[in-house]
Amino acid sequence: MSQKELPKEFYEMMEELQAIDFVLVELTLYLDTHPDDFEAIEQFNENAHARQILKQKFEQQFGPLQQYGNSYSGYPWNWDDPPWPWQI
Amino acid sequence: MAKFTLRKQYRPYVSPFDPCPSIRVKTYVTPPNLYVGFQPEKLPQFNAKQALFAGTLWKVFYDPYYGSEEKEKGGGQ
Repeated sequence: MSQKELPKEFYEMMEELQAIDFVLVELTLYLDTHPDDFEAIEQFNENAHARQILKQKFEQQFGPLQQYGNSYSGYPWNWDDPPWPWQI
Repeated sequence: MAKFTLRKQYRPYVSPFDPCPSIRVKTYVTPPNLYVGFQPEKLPQFNAKQALFAGTLWKVFYDPYYGSEEKEKGGGQ
């Protein structure tokens, strides 16, 4: 079985996904203490929307990211295919 | 007024009987959030990629805890 090689854009898209996730984490923590900061909420929604689009694009190419219904599955059942998050 | 810096200093007591050449001025770094208090709105931010590497979204909180001899580089790489 040939050794599976990940294409370059996998890493680019993964980094972008990680960057957006980090921004969302920071904004969530910020908004917990600043509930009426309209600009931050706008930024949060922009990033949440961008993440959904990127997640769809990513999963069409590289399979599901999450489980329990958070991601669609390919055929056959492929969420447990390598690489795992610590292997990429 | 001298430029604000996170690095503070103090002068420890120097005894004439110190075994080695004593350090007259010792410096230490303080975290930026000491000086911010309740975070105001509309603070300048890094963009997403920079924020990921800088470890924070807001520029004011970026503090890579440089050693005293390292030049104080600014901004997220």
